[in-house]
Amino acid sequence: ASFSDSDSDSDLLNELVSLRSTSESGVIHLDDHGISKFLTSASTPRPYSLLVFFDATQLHSKNELRLQELRREFGIVSASFLANNNGSEGTKLFFCEIEFSKSQSSFQLFGVNALPHIRLVSPSISNLRDESGQMDQSDYSRLAESMAEFVEQRTKLKVGPIQRPPLLSKPQIGIIVALIVIATPFIIKRVLKGETILHDTRLWLSGAIFIYFFSVAGTMHNIIRKMPMFLQDRNDPNKLVFFYQGSGMQLGAEGFAVGFLYTVVGLLLAFVTNVLVRVKNITAQRLIMLLALFISFWAVKKVVYLDNWKTGYGIHPYWPSSWR
Amino acid sequence: MGGKSEPAKSESMATKPDLLNTSFFSFKSLKLKTKQQELLLRISILGLVYILAFIARLFSVLRYESMIHEFDPYFNYRTTLFLTEKGFYEFWNWFDSESWYPLGRIIGGTLYPGLMVTAALIYWTLRFLRFFVHIREVCVLTAPFFASNTTLVAYFFGKELWDTGAGLVAAVLIAICPGYISRSVAGSYDNEAVAIFALLLTFYLFVKAVNTGSLAWALASAFGYFYMVSAWGGYVFIINLVPLYVLVLLITGRYSMRLYIAYNCMYILGMLLAMQIRFVGFQHVQSGEHMGAMGVFLLMQVFYFLDWVKYQLNDTKLFQTFLRITVTSAILVGGVAVGVGTASGYISPWTGRFYSLLDPTYAKDHIPIIASVSEHQPTAWSSFMFDYHILLFLFPAGLYFCFKRLTDATIFIVMYGLTSLYFAGVMVRLILVATPAVCLISAIAVSATIKNLTSLLRTKQKVSQTGSTKGAGSSKASSKVTLDQSQPFQKNGAIALLVGVFYLLSRYAIHCTWVTAEAYSSPSIVLAARGAHGNRIIFDDYREAYYWLRQNTATDAKIMSWWDYGYQITAMGNRTVIVDNNTWNNTHIATVGRAMSSYEDDAYDIMRSLDVNYVLVVFGGVTGYSSDDINKFLWMVRIGGGVFPVIKEPDYLVNGEFRVDKGASPKMLNCLMYKLCYYRFGELTTEYGKPPGYDRARGVEIGNKDIKLEHLEEAYTTSNWIVRIYRVKPPTNRL
Repeated sequence: ASFSDSDSDSDLLNELVSLRSTSESGVIHLDDHGISKFLTSASTPRPYSLLVFFDATQLHSKNELRLQELRREFGIVSASFLANNNGSEGTKLFFCEIEFSKSQSSFQLFGVNALPHIRLVSPSISNLRDESGQMDQSDYSRLAESMAEFVEQRTKLKVGPIQRPPLLSKPQIGIIVALIVIATPFIIKRVLKGETILHDTRLWLSGAIFIYFFSVAGTMHNIIRKMPMFLQDRNDPNKLVFFYQGSGMQLGAEGFAVGFLYTVVGLLLAFVTNVLVRVKNITAQRLIMLLALFISFWAVKKVVYLDNWKTGYGIHPYWPSSWR
Repeated sequence: MGGKSEPAKSESMATKPDLLNTSFFSFKSLKLKTKQQELLLRISILGLVYILAFIARLFSVLRYESMIHEFDPYFNYRTTLFLTEKGFYEFWNWFDSESWYPLGRIIGGTLYPGLMVTAALIYWTLRFLRFFVHIREVCVLTAPFFASNTTLVAYFFGKELWDTGAGLVAAVLIAICPGYISRSVAGSYDNEAVAIFALLLTFYLFVKAVNTGSLAWALASAFGYFYMVSAWGGYVFIINLVPLYVLVLLITGRYSMRLYIAYNCMYILGMLLAMQIRFVGFQHVQSGEHMGAMGVFLLMQVFYFLDWVKYQLNDTKLFQTFLRITVTSAILVGGVAVGVGTASGYISPWTGRFYSLLDPTYAKDHIPIIASVSEHQPTAWSSFMFDYHILLFLFPAGLYFCFKRLTDATIFIVMYGLTSLYFAGVMVRLILVATPAVCLISAIAVSATIKNLTSLLRTKQKVSQTGSTKGAGSSKASSKVTLDQSQPFQKNGAIALLVGVFYLLSRYAIHCTWVTAEAYSSPSIVLAARGAHGNRIIFDDYREAYYWLRQNTATDAKIMSWWDYGYQITAMGNRTVIVDNNTWNNTHIATVGRAMSSYEDDAYDIMRSLDVNYVLVVFGGVTGYSSDDINKFLWMVRIGGGVFPVIKEPDYLVNGEFRVDKGASPKMLNCLMYKLCYYRFGELTTEYGKPPGYDRARGVEIGNKDIKLEHLEEAYTTSNWIVRIYRVKPPTNRL
């Protein structure tokens, strides 16, 4: 019996290896049939472990699940494992995925009802509902690196360094470098002559204003903290909250609104002093001036009001105590 | 009290040079010429601003007492004390065994000595002049003194950029700007106190050198740079901004002999001088952060060489070919050199802090110890408003003025302003670096506006149509409206605008005074709160605890606490600590974090291995003090878990939420930190109408009221429970 066992084992192994070679990153696509063939009907201990990624195409649109991103990272781990393990070690672990719409019964078999879900099926496990091989959220929080750590911890196999595909392929880099090298003398020549777009002060000015706007609007805060543009009111879901009370935090929209107010005042000034003075019609000039004054007055007042509201400080002057 | 009326006064004084002809001065008998009058006014304004900058920073002394603030200043104070007692060479070679037990720390090689040496020099000078002050007073007042000096530098810088009026306004603005005051009130004896002065001085001297092409000014800027390097790690900003500025000048075709002299002298001398600081040393020629400066230096030589060849050749076609070959080969050689340098490890890559400025999301993902510090958080718009107030509105106006009159100097200030403002958006503390630039650029806007308006007032115009439609109601906003040569305004309009300007500036003065008094003058080692009847209550628990340690523990006792309190314990308690605020060894800090977040048994083993005698925790549950160790606890877990994977953050959370009440995770309820903070807390009623064990800082009833300690025992708890100290029991006798 043991002979036939090892015989069928090696058959299964060969089949897995050939399946793996057909996929680019080495992730085997399994369906219900494959699951029963390689897991349920194969006698334990199996000569291999399977790391199964549970996927559902219909949930790809839900960004908060990060299914596609995780699936991509899963592929990277698989490809790195393949690249770093050529010999017999390479046939001890296979990376698989199953898709919900095509293999619902397998999902039931594994008892999976929430995604993302990644499960390691060790050689000795016969009850697929045993959740001991499940990858915790912390195990894929750092993407491929932490997945690889999980695999190394559980299987005692070495995944090796993660090999991410470079952002640009080598020929592309070569072409870009060549282009830069060729273009440099021409650019320098034009720069020396002083006739590039870089010599246009208006461009620089708008760039400068943009950086100013970018900073004072707290955009870096939004990027680093990944703040949403607005929130939904907890009590009333139809109401949107645009302004957050509390000094250390801000929402995306409120930063832009305030930054816009700052910038408007500055730009109005430029307009009034640079363009408006050339307007010949005195009445139009006065009207626009009046409008500009009004808008900047309103903007300043608004910002000061918002700031006092947000920080909760009531700023007031001090008077000599004898005046009170 | 004295600071209140002062800002408004000098605010209005700042514009008086322009009003001179309106017969403001009527000392007929003195017979001063107009020039002399102006000089007198200018000097007296500067004198007033100098005093104002100093006294505005004394609120902290008035409200509390003359003491050192916060955390880092205590280390600076301790080293300064050592320097004045033992002398410079002892200080330079000091190996401190009282911190980072059992590793110790080489103080001389791991600090920027500028601040301590400056304070010691002031101290020695005063003693030489027979003023016998205590070194602590010198340390407390160093920051205001240098802030005063900064106003002078700002004046000269503004004068160099624009005119004397802009200089005066800049001096006034920077004297009371909250962004600067936040780091320079009396008692905040930190590197930044002198560093901002050094930074602005270096920039001023460099711009002066570029404007004049004089070797003397370039030399002076090199020394200014040396002072900056000796004082603060922020010098990296200078050594990157200046080359960037030079590069921009080169690209925009503003290369000149003046620039060549200024930069080469400043770079070479500055580099040699900077390398004398042990903490910097060879980093200055090896680390990636300094490579840009070297690259620009080499590029400068290529430019000069090309200029020379062009002069020699006199044949454009030949020159073009030559140009192409030289530039291509120069870039290739440079690229290869950098590549080889990096690959061979000769050029070290960028440090995490620097990298996190360029890619702000970097620190959050990779270096928890940087991301955990509150002053490294990104800036929300309200912080900008709080620290700059009307300067934010004036800034774009000033930018516009600078672009209208582009010179080498204004290009510099624009670049300084924009880069620093960007960095200020990444980290709250860098608002400080941006403050001088924002003040200068806004000063240009204010000064140019007022100058135009007043000159309009003085010229006797006959055109009678007045813009009466522009009512005074909108005059507040009109301060930002500036006039060009051909003004559409008439006299009345100008007066209204001027009133608006002064109104806005006085609002600025009010804002700054209030912010200084209420927000930026608390020492954070003594806490203040408002009592039920509006009276002020002072919590002096920190010092109580540190003096207890000093008096009641063995002199060689080792204290374990989270790293925030390390400097204070060594400086005030005079005891050895495991980790402190100089976060140079992440593993060591992670070990402490691990001990705090483990069960008592495991923690005991760690503490035994570190020879810990006492554990100190900070707890705000009784007083409602929110920056205590429980609120910092997640960072301990993160930092500990970063090195020791046995510590996992999710173990301490319930559905991603950090809780201390009954719903908290079991690991949380039994870890060492929880036990030490809440030991015997379950017996205490903190607030009327609430059950015993009600945590006022988090507003919940705690989840584990029955805490038994096995290997530790309570040694001391301060009067308001803010600091709690536990003794680690020696191991029981083995049979």
